[in-house]
Amino acid sequence: MRRTVMIGLDAVTKSYPGEDRPAVDRLTIQVEEGEIVALVGPSGCGKTTTLKMINRLIEPTSGIITVGGRDITSMPPPQLRRSIGYVIQQAGLFPHRTVFQNIATVPRLLGWDRTRIRARIDELLDLVDLGPGMGDRYPNELSGGQQQRVGVARALAADPPVILMDEPFGAVDPIVRARLQGELLRMQSRLHKTIVLVTHDIDEAIRLGDRVAILAPGGRLAQFATPEQILRDPEAGFVEGFLGPDRGLRRLSLIPLRNVELVEGPVVELGSGRGEALDAMTRHGLDWVVVRAGDRLLGWASAAEIDAGARLEAGSLQPIRGGASIDGSLRDALDTMVTGHTGVALVFDGDRYLGMITIDAVNREMLR
Amino acid sequence: MTLAQASGPFFRWDWVFDHLDEIRDRSLEHLLLTGIALGIGLLISLALASLALRFRAAYAPITWVTGALYTIPSLALFAFLVPITGFTVLTAQVGLVSYILLILTRNIVAGVDGVDPAVKEAALGMGYGRWRLLLGVELPLALPVVLAGVRIAASTTIGLVTVTALIGQGGVGFFILRGLNRFFSTEIVLGVALSVLLAVFVDGALLALERSLTPWTRRRAGA
Repeated sequence: MRRTVMIGLDAVTKSYPGEDRPAVDRLTIQVEEGEIVALVGPSGCGKTTTLKMINRLIEPTSGIITVGGRDITSMPPPQLRRSIGYVIQQAGLFPHRTVFQNIATVPRLLGWDRTRIRARIDELLDLVDLGPGMGDRYPNELSGGQQQRVGVARALAADPPVILMDEPFGAVDPIVRARLQGELLRMQSRLHKTIVLVTHDIDEAIRLGDRVAILAPGGRLAQFATPEQILRDPEAGFVEGFLGPDRGLRRLSLIPLRNVELVEGPVVELGSGRGEALDAMTRHGLDWVVVRAGDRLLGWASAAEIDAGARLEAGSLQPIRGGASIDGSLRDALDTMVTGHTGVALVFDGDRYLGMITIDAVNREMLR
Repeated sequence: MTLAQASGPFFRWDWVFDHLDEIRDRSLEHLLLTGIALGIGLLISLALASLALRFRAAYAPITWVTGALYTIPSLALFAFLVPITGFTVLTAQVGLVSYILLILTRNIVAGVDGVDPAVKEAALGMGYGRWRLLLGVELPLALPVVLAGVRIAASTTIGLVTVTALIGQGGVGFFILRGLNRFFSTEIVLGVALSVLLAVFVDGALLALERSLTPWTRRRAGA
């Protein structure tokens, strides 16, 4: 069943005088209500131009764009823009206004009353994980990640059905970026906005997009499909090259660990003897065991370290480093295996040990 | 009598204490002339700068005209205006305002040009119109640069007001002129000292104003 089309681009072209090929070339895309579409491609592929045509910061040379079924040229640009959330790289916060005032921008343009604005902003600060005390700060008192969160809160302020995001996480470091991406997905699962997101990072597009539109230089749409379809069956020309040789690995990042069968692994209880430990090792074809007390793993020990007749005690164990979170993907688990030199990845939910994934599981999923 | 005063002590504090009322009135007059000139100059410069920002082609002619005004010697300008507008405040103001248009207009344009393009884009993308963008975002963010121009303009104007004593205005310049006519060094020194004090005072006041108007420039990311 197809859902309603929220944003429609019909043969949209943008050409600039004096340039031999158009920035965007007869682009036709339909974005359905409640989905995230990632526009991705190398620089000069027209992805940002495309985004800015949707809120009329750039006017197309030809073609028709509709938002919510209405031709966007039927209303004045400021009115159109107040109904569309807009997030840009480095947030573009007003430096002379506090966090509160920044987020209040569009509600104030729309003439909301004070109490309604205040209530809405408290709600938004909470939604984007900023404490209520943040409201009185100026943007230059915030970290890059916090500024980006304020940028997202500002775009959501008047509760627009459509949000446009232009490289929203381009200016923060990889760790913060990963966290903000996770927060966006978590937020989206509650809010169901229609989001068009521009990025040059194919991994970000794959992680965030329900569907991904890959644009080739010259503003031509090379492929528009779900991440799975694109990775499994990329268009033979441009897209295959753009995805690069580690396409198979990228597919792993689409498989959540929650969907992968975990094995218990060579686990013994604290206080077990050498015999039990060796049994567990043999069962799994390994030369080490992990030791647990209840849900928690205390450490590991190798066969050579366990003396005959001795019991496994907390003090004699090696600490466990790394491990994969159950919220991650199979690709994260593979990373853990490779960096841990053990060939397995221990999977945790917070501190709680859930089980392990072996390289065999990765193979199985790759061949599927 | 003139000779006796000229050969008296270089600076007579008793004369100063006898003329405190006049000193106060002349100082206030000086500040008033300066304030009016700055106010009118700012209004005209805002209009010129808005024009230049909207229509880039207008910037060069505006710079050219205000630059030409700036190069005319002040004494010559006042002499030229007296036959037209007489020994009036108007004559003084036309001269004073003419001299600060260049610095004010240039600083407003430079300040607005210096605003982060990402901030302007965000404002437009959220539905700001052109005027709201200028008044609500561009000018406030340009304020430090604009006020730097205002401070220079204020110092210049305070100096120039003393010259307007020649056309019957002048604030504390009046003391200098009268002191010269009477060979009375106390009045000359007093006039010079007052104009320097006024310049320092006004500059300090404008700096304090800038601080209070731009709180966001001071606080930085903490620990």
